Amino acid sequence: MSVLAAHGLGVRFGDVVALDGVDLEVADGEFVAVVGPSGCGKSTLLRAFGGMLPPGAAVSGTLRLPTLPDGGRATAWMPQRDGLLPWRRAWSNALLGARIARVPRADAEARAADLFERFGLAGFERAWPHELSGGMRQRLALLRTCLAGRPVLLLDEPFGALDPITRRRMNEWLAGVGLTGGAPAVGQQRAVVLVTHDVDEALTLADRVVVLSARPGRVALDATAPTRDEILTALDPLPR
Amino acid sequence: MNQGVRRRTAGRVVAPLLTVAVVLGVWEAWVRLAGVPEFVLPAPSQVARTAVEVAPLLGPHVATTLTEAAAGLVVGTVAGLLLSILVTASRVTGDAVYPLVVLTQTVPVVVLAPLMILWAGFGLLPKIVLVALTVFFPVLVSAVGAMRAVDAEHADMVAGLGGTRLDQFLLVRLPASIPGALAGLRVAATYAVGAAVVAEYLAGQSGLGVFVQRSRKAYAVDQIFVGVVLIALLSGLFFALVAMLTRVATPWQRGKP
Repeated sequence: MSVLAAHGLGVRFGDVVALDGVDLEVADGEFVAVVGPSGCGKSTLLRAFGGMLPPGAAVSGTLRLPTLPDGGRATAWMPQRDGLLPWRRAWSNALLGARIARVPRADAEARAADLFERFGLAGFERAWPHELSGGMRQRLALLRTCLAGRPVLLLDEPFGALDPITRRRMNEWLAGVGLTGGAPAVGQQRAVVLVTHDVDEALTLADRVVVLSARPGRVALDATAPTRDEILTALDPLPR
Repeated sequence: MNQGVRRRTAGRVVAPLLTVAVVLGVWEAWVRLAGVPEFVLPAPSQVARTAVEVAPLLGPHVATTLTEAAAGLVVGTVAGLLLSILVTASRVTGDAVYPLVVLTQTVPVVVLAPLMILWAGFGLLPKIVLVALTVFFPVLVSAVGAMRAVDAEHADMVAGLGGTRLDQFLLVRLPASIPGALAGLRVAATYAVGAAVVAEYLAGQSGLGVFVQRSRKAYAVDQIFVGVVLIALLSGLFFALVAMLTRVATPWQRGKP
């Protein structure tokens, strides 16, 4: 049973067709990476999954979004930029996710203490965001998103703003953290959808890679554990 | 702190003090050498002597002006903040309120003083209202600016976690308005004492404005100077208090480059 599904999904902004006939199902426990060139609509797809399309968007096709037992939203979406509030210390920024998701404070604090350790942020609980490095800020933003305790995580180029070396280190770290399954405290998520333009990031992190074509975005490849070449061919189908 | 910074700080204190000393010296010398009459321009030393003489009289005047300025500042700040919330709450309320508020600023507040006195009498109230009217606008404008400048990034972050518009307001916009409002308050604080004094010029039994007016009628120019210096000191005090408040209220901006 899929936790998230789009069938023939199209999204238009006025005359601009961002997505066209996208079929994508995300199964329980899956880590899916959506790869595509800039402007192919991959962020739009993620926003559609998060129920965050701007008011002007015209949507066609069907979209099944996960809901919590109480009918609330079951996704947590993390933007490319960290979105940390400069007037809150690291700890309080992290707990914002729990607060917005109405997670009881005591539960959230216990989980946060554990996650600060795992995310390599222990000792920085009282730091202001501007005192943290770029990599730490992204980890803190991810921690905040995890603390919302939502079953589905939607990550929009979470490390896109980092330098290549830090990004690679982050990816190795994230692959080891085990966002889905594995480590119980982190792996409350049942599925993760990651959007990126970095093929290696997708290969390192995801079980399954979906390649979107240039605008309007269509699914060019949908494969479990593909090779690098397969992805590159799907991204750039012209013969070399 | 390295030595260069320390030298720079010392320079910032010493240099202006030196300038003041030179100006006072020239003033004193000119008054004495040219024999300028006291009712035109008293020497600084004469002003200082008068200050000591009238000091016992000044207490109640200072208290009155201080009360008016402080109360007006508080009322004006609260009003400015509340209005800024109204202006940024939605497009409709913003359109309904903001242009009108800006339009009110085409009327200099002092011009309204006679009306205030007619409506609210000769006591503290009309002066507090006038100070509040002077103060609310800079607070409002900077708070609105800060709230509107909130990054879409932050609002998106809250929405992405499933937050409501109320969450966005309480967690992002309201706290974001605080540094802005404080910047406006810093400007407003320097106006507050002046606004109170001008209101006192027009009517009142007590206050530094009353003291200055009485001194003018008595051709006691030295006393006017005493009043002016006191007003400047009080304005400086307000400014310093707001600067301190800013430091306490925005701890994350400390030590930032």
